[in-house]
Amino acid sequence: MFRREQSEPGSVASLPTDVIDISTFEQILGMDDSDEDRDFSKGLVYSFFSQAESTFQEMDENFENKDILKLSSLGHFLKGSSAALGLTKLKDSCEKIQNLGTRRDETGMREEPDMDVSLKKLLQTIRDAKNQFGEAERALKRFFGDVSSQEK
Amino acid sequence: MTKELHRKIWVKRPGASPTLVQIRENDLMDGVREMILKKYANSLGRYFDAPDITLRIVARDDPSLEQTLGPDEEICRTLDTYYPGGQTVDEALIIDVPHRRTPRQSPRPTQIVYYDDQSRPFEHGGDYFPPMPPNVPSPAAITSTSHESRHSRDLSLSQTHSNHSHSHSLGHSSFDQTRSMTVLSTGQVPPLPSPGGTRRSHLTRPGRPANVRQPTASPTALANPHRSSRPHDSGDLAPAPAIISTPPTEHPPTAAQPTSRPTTPRVSSPRPKGRRRMRLRPDGTNSAATTPAPMSLSIPTIETSVPPINVLIVEDNHINLKLLEQFIRRLKVRWASAQNGREAVNKWRTGGFHLVLMDIQLPIMSGLEATKEIRRLERVNGIGVLANSTPTPGEEKSEGDKLVDRSLFKSPVIIVALTASNLQSDRHEALAAGCNDFLTKPVNFVWLERKVKEWGCMQALIDFDGWRKWKDFSQNDEGAEKKKEEK
Repeated sequence: MFRREQSEPGSVASLPTDVIDISTFEQILGMDDSDEDRDFSKGLVYSFFSQAESTFQEMDENFENKDILKLSSLGHFLKGSSAALGLTKLKDSCEKIQNLGTRRDETGMREEPDMDVSLKKLLQTIRDAKNQFGEAERALKRFFGDVSSQEK
Repeated sequence: MTKELHRKIWVKRPGASPTLVQIRENDLMDGVREMILKKYANSLGRYFDAPDITLRIVARDDPSLEQTLGPDEEICRTLDTYYPGGQTVDEALIIDVPHRRTPRQSPRPTQIVYYDDQSRPFEHGGDYFPPMPPNVPSPAAITSTSHESRHSRDLSLSQTHSNHSHSHSLGHSSFDQTRSMTVLSTGQVPPLPSPGGTRRSHLTRPGRPANVRQPTASPTALANPHRSSRPHDSGDLAPAPAIISTPPTEHPPTAAQPTSRPTTPRVSSPRPKGRRRMRLRPDGTNSAATTPAPMSLSIPTIETSVPPINVLIVEDNHINLKLLEQFIRRLKVRWASAQNGREAVNKWRTGGFHLVLMDIQLPIMSGLEATKEIRRLERVNGIGVLANSTPTPGEEKSEGDKLVDRSLFKSPVIIVALTASNLQSDRHEALAAGCNDFLTKPVNFVWLERKVKEWGCMQALIDFDGWRKWKDFSQNDEGAEKKKEEK
């Protein structure tokens, strides 16, 4: 088995394991034609960035309108792709948004009768999700050698 | 009880690898037998009682001199006498069991350790019967040095190494067939056993007319004659086809070493990275090194490449869709995609699909609704072997339900649900709607590839003519490529 260089930017070892599930992410890298040519994975990750950004924007709009059911479905939507990329934390937050949006608690097990509680929790969870996304985005951009993002 | 009183001794089954068993310093042989049964919970514990087994000790300097230990012997003293300075691994006590009795399995064995369960991705570890063919050995179960698996493998008498992969691949289809036949005959997946029910028993539970359910019994039943008597061991623990051989396991998985193994709940599935290039090459060139010499039969073709199936990917999230498409593309399988349930049903109606990877929550029409609709159309159009004999009352075929080209629907399509949810109820629902199987996102590609192969093989068996054509075609293809190379 070949040995990977340690912690160089561009190596999987440099990715923060709490943000990105390495094995899932490696699966995606495995879809590339070679380690040098990361067209597929890079393209996928970058389209995920724009998908997430637009989804967050939609979330903000729907939060303003208190359309929490729509928030739920947006949470579910982003959950699917963040899970696929192995962004574990973000995925968990999205799942919370999904559950909270159906007037239940974060786990989806219990009904939440108080709309204000739901909204308050949603606001916080969406904020968490955005931070987690930012964290993942920085790490991934660094991974793909996008240096300009580092000051961001 | 202090720690000093414990001691570990080496034992082994004849011809197998030794293992350590913990005993107490003053244990008699009798107590040791209990510990051995615990250790060999699968291969021995299920079929033998402690008094059944005997232990042999072999003298250190004269291997021909061996003695059977009596039940009242103090094991540690005996060991010290025989092996002054301590027992080495080569001096493991040899476990003998009486000649195999007909294993009679209780309907709910309580002390079974399903090693391979733990190593499976967690979506299959539900407490009800798994939708996936349970005789798929997890790659990790094979790499792991589980003594149980090794020993039970020894027990399966007929499986010499050379025919392992052969019967294994057939074994898959056998199971798939059974399950799918249920779907074929009823248009429904079988009812889910109550929670906690034994996972595999629906195939092998005594008295269940398993064969009646598969009138088109595949040759697989013959390929593995011991399955009936030793239901779990032979199929479950047979080595996987060589192509999925796992990377060496010298580096034990640790959380601190993310590069060695996945650290997710799916820890035990093999790390895709190490052999991704190899696995995703359906022509099998890279796997040649690990595959046993190719047999002249056509079976290995199935093993090394993906059968000629046509896959419909249904996903609304374009990230996931792109990923699945790329995955399928690399398997060199034909595919099409749909972004919602309605589109999926319409695409399916054009015919020719063998496998549907169906996201569950979809806009317009959910994956479950789409699945139900497809199953309904299959029933009213009589797709499936036994569908004609079991007309569902109250279901009339309206003109709009008629499929355009009935010949394109050889058998019910296999629907594998994809869900990001971990909820048991969602899986339940998926099966109830008529899905054959499900996977949790993020989809593990190793598993997905296997599912595609397994279900594809099953479909290929049903659509044998199509398979033949594909085989000829792919051979011609190969021939053409070779010619090119020669030039």
